[in-house]
Amino acid sequence: MSNTIQVSVWRGAEEGEFQTFEVPRQPSQTVLDVITYIQRNIDPTLSYRFACRVGVCGSCAMTVNGRPRWTCRTHVDKVAGDGTLEVAPLRNLQVVKDLACEMTEFFDKMNRAEGKFHPTKTRDDDFDFIKPDDKKRKQASAGIECIGCGVCYAACDIVDWNKDYLGPAALNRAWTLVNDERDGGNDVRLAAVAGDAGCHACHSQQGCVEHCPKHLSPTHSIAGLKRETAKAALKGLLGGDD
Amino acid sequence: MSTNIQIEELKTDVLILGSGGAGLFGALHAKAANPELEVTVAVKGLLGKCGCTRMVQGGYNVAIAPGDSTERHFMDTVEGGKWINRQDLAWTLVEQAQVRIRELENELGCYFDRNPDGTVHQKAFAGQTFDRTVHKGDLTGIEIINRLAEQVWARDIKRMEDHRAVALIPSKDGSRIAGVLMIDMRSGAFRLVRASAVLLATGGGPTMYKYHTPSGDKTCDGMAMSLRLGLTLRDMEMVQFHPTGLIAGEDTRITGTIIEEGLRGAGGHLLDGNLERFMHKYDERGERATRDIVSRGMFQEMRNGVTAKHGGLYITMKHLDPSMVKKSFKGMVERCADCGFDLVGGNVEVVPTAHYMMGGVVFEPDCTTEIPGLYAAGEDTGGVHGANRLGGNGVANSTVFGGIAGDTIAKDIKPNATLVDPDREAIDAAVRLCTQPLERPAAKIDQVRTKLWEHMWEDAGIVRDAASLARAKGTLDELDAELDTIGVSGDNLAYNLTWHDWLNLKNLILVSKSVVAAATAREDSRGAHFRADYPDVRDLENSTYTVVRLKDDEITLGTEPVDFSRVKPGETLLDESAA
Repeated sequence: MSNTIQVSVWRGAEEGEFQTFEVPRQPSQTVLDVITYIQRNIDPTLSYRFACRVGVCGSCAMTVNGRPRWTCRTHVDKVAGDGTLEVAPLRNLQVVKDLACEMTEFFDKMNRAEGKFHPTKTRDDDFDFIKPDDKKRKQASAGIECIGCGVCYAACDIVDWNKDYLGPAALNRAWTLVNDERDGGNDVRLAAVAGDAGCHACHSQQGCVEHCPKHLSPTHSIAGLKRETAKAALKGLLGGDD
Repeated sequence: MSTNIQIEELKTDVLILGSGGAGLFGALHAKAANPELEVTVAVKGLLGKCGCTRMVQGGYNVAIAPGDSTERHFMDTVEGGKWINRQDLAWTLVEQAQVRIRELENELGCYFDRNPDGTVHQKAFAGQTFDRTVHKGDLTGIEIINRLAEQVWARDIKRMEDHRAVALIPSKDGSRIAGVLMIDMRSGAFRLVRASAVLLATGGGPTMYKYHTPSGDKTCDGMAMSLRLGLTLRDMEMVQFHPTGLIAGEDTRITGTIIEEGLRGAGGHLLDGNLERFMHKYDERGERATRDIVSRGMFQEMRNGVTAKHGGLYITMKHLDPSMVKKSFKGMVERCADCGFDLVGGNVEVVPTAHYMMGGVVFEPDCTTEIPGLYAAGEDTGGVHGANRLGGNGVANSTVFGGIAGDTIAKDIKPNATLVDPDREAIDAAVRLCTQPLERPAAKIDQVRTKLWEHMWEDAGIVRDAASLARAKGTLDELDAELDTIGVSGDNLAYNLTWHDWLNLKNLILVSKSVVAAATAREDSRGAHFRADYPDVRDLENSTYTVVRLKDDEITLGTEPVDFSRVKPGETLLDESAA
């Protein structure tokens, strides 16, 4: 192991260039640690976003050697075999400065996909009895641990081609809700995800599956939505053509 | 840079600082109670992402099972708090948690873990006489915050992300709150947000210690702003240390983050640098002793010097069933693996780590404070937990009181009310405080942070005495003075993290001073506060709590008698047969 690592870091916003830094190697070092080292010790003007430091919040995703990754949980050893790193902001999102992105469109699409619970009960009611091995619950639970880091969104070529496309995370959340027996919003949800920018836009290229740091399968979820929206359309439940 | 810089002014009815359990529940409840109110959530990072509710692993304590009771949860909370809790707050917590957990499950769509028969699973957690912790695996906070955030996104609630609050601004006549001065971190510009009501819900976060668990954005900003406004804070000596944080070496962000308590409960062993167990020397329960005892045992072992590579100790699960460890602690196993540690079959180096501040702003059960228009909830507040917070009472606290704050605000204020004139001198003073480093030549700042970390850890952390606290006081004054000589480049204020590091340190040093002052005043040991020179709990019947205020740039200290409004030490609310 060389004692240092060569790191090219994106500087600027939409327009900018890579700048190279030399950072000491540590035995246990993540990409976020490398970026932090640069800001603390070499160039205090470097901008990046992070919060939890430990793979819970999804604030620190960046493009590392060409692939979207959560930087706080990406060990340098895993990605910098040749001793070099290239770190850039996530694709498909507007850059604020250097490595920090604006994520509003990503969050807004969660909402546009009706990725929120529609309650059928209130705080005055008891918990529903739902067995953990219930078939639909297992479908919901399979996709529920998304942390909203935007890695799948950056990995998705469809988002790149079609800025309106809701994207893997929003559709994955919609699918977890379709399978949630307690939810009462499926009519509006299936209508929301059935349009041109919804589930049928997905070409199952599986960039999301390949890159999800939580090992979720948005492609599987989207396939489920395709089936359910098709069924709903046959029953005439989707309203217009959107 | 002149202090006559342009400050953009915005107006809203309700301004909420913070987007954890307290902030988001505050926003949802205020909006639900009165949809005409304009509600704005301002947050230092991204909404629902920064802060600590999201990081909750353990779960949510709530007395909803047959055989459990409000009284039992209350007694556990007060006994755990070593009798200095404000009892009306503790009662509100345990009673309203029963409403809030059903709201989370039924109205927001959280799905908490179930038993095989479909009933909600409640697990055992340290310091409690009943298995009452509702959870979602070992990553409960993600479920809670994801569900809250998506409801907020769906409503007409304004978001100001990457906005840090720098000062609570009173009205010109000082009679109430007028708004909050903020920095839009993306541009570096100041913004004054004027509001009829402000909810302080930034979270505490004892990140002034070398090893700490909270989210990296947390730097006691709410408490520092409250001190500067002249508010009273209580119980500031009470800083909880969690026994097992990861330690991965210098300059690693992951150092300090928790690997969860349940590992010890499930039979995990703590080992010294020679791979020998040691906890039995300190408590007959060994590794299963309470957080404070295990943390002190580990601190002593580290002082004795038989440590692992990075100066910590080890936790190991390798004598246990690997499939149980993989299944029960999936999140932790994956986290360790990503960082190069094998939690299932190896020894993982750990260190006690500063976790939670029981102390904070004095507030009422309806979340009002001593300043009209200013409300507080969550870790910014003090009194709910007393000297020690039970694992599982933290997210209950933020969500219960956040919701109450929203309800109270909606009752107290009207939409589009005329806003009071802000105190322009207070705004100028706050701008000067923030911009002063920009007027000096840029210099390195990191050594202030590392010194703060080291000295708070050594002198005002897990074990304290009069001499160490006196040293800490001197060090903090020196560090404050040193920080005031350090400049930050102001050439580009957009997303200027180093400027924010400076502001973070300013806040951490101020709040550290209040921790040290309160710890100096409390000459006994209870809960999280351990004085080597006063190792026993003293005079429980006449318990007092500490209060601090900032006056003329100095921390002033007082003590107040605890009002045992529901139950006195030695008594219980439980029937003797049930106790």
